[in-house]
Amino acid sequence: MQASIQRSAGPAEEAQTLAQRIPLWVFRLIALITGLALFFPPVNPGRVSEKINEAASLFTTGVSYGTITNSMGRILRSQWIRDTDIHLLMIACCVVMAGVIACAAGGCMSLGNHKMRRRGLILPLIGAPVMAAGLYLIRSAYTSMLAHGEEVGKLDTIKLMVPAGFWFFCALAALLFLSAGAAFLAAGKVRDASAKMEMEEKYRLFLMMLPVILLAFIFAYLPIWGWRFAFFDYTPGGTIGPENYVGFKWFSFLFTDPATTRDLLRVLRNTLIMSGLGIATSWLPIAFAVLLAEVRSTKFQRFVQTFTTIPNFISWVLVYAIAICIFSTDGFINSFLTNIMHMEGANTNYLQVADHTWLKMLLWGTWKGVGWSAIVYIAGIAGIDQQLYEAAKVDGANRFRCIWHITIPGLIPTYCVLLLMSIAGILSNGMEQYLVFSNAMNKDVIEVLDLYVYNIGIGQNRISLSTVVGVSKSLIGITLLFAANGISKAIRGESII
Amino acid sequence: MSRKEKAAAMHIRRTAGDWVFDIAVIIFFCIFTFICIFPFYYLLINTISDNDLVTSGRVNFFPMLKGADNLPVFGVQLNNYVALRNVQDLGSSVLVTIARTIIGTALMVITSAWAGYLVTKQKMWKRSLWYRFLVITMYFNAGLVPWYMNMLMMGLTDNFMAYIIPGMVAPYNIILVKTYIESIPASLEESAIIDGASTVKVWLKIILPLSIPILATIAIFGAVGNWNSFQDSLLLMNNRPDLYTLQHRLYIYLNSSSNLGAMMSQGGQVSEQAAQSMLNQRVIQYTVSMVSIIPILMVYPFMQRYFVKGIMLGAVKG
Repeated sequence: MQASIQRSAGPAEEAQTLAQRIPLWVFRLIALITGLALFFPPVNPGRVSEKINEAASLFTTGVSYGTITNSMGRILRSQWIRDTDIHLLMIACCVVMAGVIACAAGGCMSLGNHKMRRRGLILPLIGAPVMAAGLYLIRSAYTSMLAHGEEVGKLDTIKLMVPAGFWFFCALAALLFLSAGAAFLAAGKVRDASAKMEMEEKYRLFLMMLPVILLAFIFAYLPIWGWRFAFFDYTPGGTIGPENYVGFKWFSFLFTDPATTRDLLRVLRNTLIMSGLGIATSWLPIAFAVLLAEVRSTKFQRFVQTFTTIPNFISWVLVYAIAICIFSTDGFINSFLTNIMHMEGANTNYLQVADHTWLKMLLWGTWKGVGWSAIVYIAGIAGIDQQLYEAAKVDGANRFRCIWHITIPGLIPTYCVLLLMSIAGILSNGMEQYLVFSNAMNKDVIEVLDLYVYNIGIGQNRISLSTVVGVSKSLIGITLLFAANGISKAIRGESII
Repeated sequence: MSRKEKAAAMHIRRTAGDWVFDIAVIIFFCIFTFICIFPFYYLLINTISDNDLVTSGRVNFFPMLKGADNLPVFGVQLNNYVALRNVQDLGSSVLVTIARTIIGTALMVITSAWAGYLVTKQKMWKRSLWYRFLVITMYFNAGLVPWYMNMLMMGLTDNFMAYIIPGMVAPYNIILVKTYIESIPASLEESAIIDGASTVKVWLKIILPLSIPILATIAIFGAVGNWNSFQDSLLLMNNRPDLYTLQHRLYIYLNSSSNLGAMMSQGGQVSEQAAQSMLNQRVIQYTVSMVSIIPILMVYPFMQRYFVKGIMLGAVKG
């Protein structure tokens, strides 16, 4: 930006003193905490009844009527809590959010120059009182629910309470107001009235990036907060607190409960065998690419490449649909045997037969993936220096020696990276393929770790147990990844991540 | 060119062994390609043939209709596709899937283009930290149940936004865009900055037009991913069947009938009518499958132009 270039050439803005900096950093820290607390259900100030969904954050309470009331069925139908009160509560939460957003905006602006900082600090001085007003509205929604509950005599059922988050947000509002006020006073007057509101480029770029960082935080890092279920006896719809804290009970449960241990061993066996088969056949795409490169017609090459890649782009559900139309009782194989080969009694439903399940899964995976995986090697072959081949031919090498001594060594580095990655991901073979192909007959041999986590967590609602399995899997996975990376660094001097 | 020269050089001394090898390779690829496309073809001819012939297994290699004396003759009908109008709940899932494919892909591409550009800016405060922060999410996964509880916490269950918002930040695509933008000569951007363009303007006027190829690549992959999405619908939309995606709907159709099929193969008593409805359902399954495959086959030729480029860029570590 022109302005910033001029500015960096001119005299730098005077440095801030410590007395100016400290309240500013305190304010930014509190603003950040407040901003994140919006999405954090345990500190939701709007959860004025135990019947309001425990998993609803302040943000959710403000925007989603369905989420806050989804465990209220009877209470709402009988109007023991009135709709108007819930709407008041939602409006109140929105007001609190507006205040929080103003404070957060102030926090962002406080990264600017003196004038911008001063302007920015006015925002929390307005925003914090707005938050307080919103909290007051929550309070009045609560009072109104209380009065109505008393009237209908159902206070025991609607279980009103003042959530801990209410006081937490009161404290945050007060702290925001005080720290922003202190920072504002410490910042002093604007001396140069003609100065423009500006921000250093590094902070401007950071603020532009901030929404992306926050989204990544919310959807990829915040789930780690869900790991706490591993340490509690949690049932869906229940609460977690000191009374059902169980420490490492679920971790030891994996090894002490015979049924679970048996399941886990079976699932691990399936997982390792299927990943192992995948790794054992990971050279197939190389063979595919090398053989295809030996075909002299480029048209034929392109034709093969085009049609063998298609299966990669359809979902596993569609693969299953195709499996049904080929292998089921009235699928292609059976009707071919009956009507063309005139074979009697050909009506096996190959999908229902549990024999060779691992091999079948491997074959489906190969059918779907080999053409696609070969592309990277085909491109790799195209990148090999042709002079190498010419030189080899002058030395009398035939085509097999060329393949063995030139093509394959040229592809090995890529192969090593992919192999290490697949070893690091040995426990994660995804659940979609195994979910769609599983049925009553083959479920013992098809259930892999990811599918097991889904089945016990979502299917049987054993949240804590499946979280424990998932957490262990994540930790082992990340360890394996770093190990693979370490190996790659040691051998090839290059990291793979 | 060099490939041709090589071929020419090889042509000089081709032995009998070479010929055998070449022919074996070509036969192998013909068989493999046939295995890859035949199922699609078989699915298609089953949906455009006479349903009774499909049921009795008379449709094997060509679409057939009933001719004189009920004998199968070569022919095509589209009644099954017309009959899809009456299939319950199909319309809403097609609409939902189209909507998420368009909106989700567009937002993902914009976010990736924006973030991919910003992470190339060395001046950003703690740039490498934020970049790593994004990249780690590719390798680290908190687990299915914590993810589900998180979505619940965000109010993103039984909510169309669950299809859109979490997919916006796609770290792999951000890396692709970043790698691509780094290959654009920096002087273009610098000259615009000297002329007084702001960051947003540089992005809009210079970076975006120049990175169209990579954006097209990630858009096509994103669209295919959205179209094929199944897991999020399965996990998150328990109380909103009207928000099921097409793949989820297809999965339900496939399962509802395979249970019937299981009953029959176990020798359970199934009435004639139930058997008939099952077989009709089979044809409907095939037709719905075909409907969900067709869009992918339609974008496939465009995709092919881009995916080699995409996969090679991906091989270049970010």
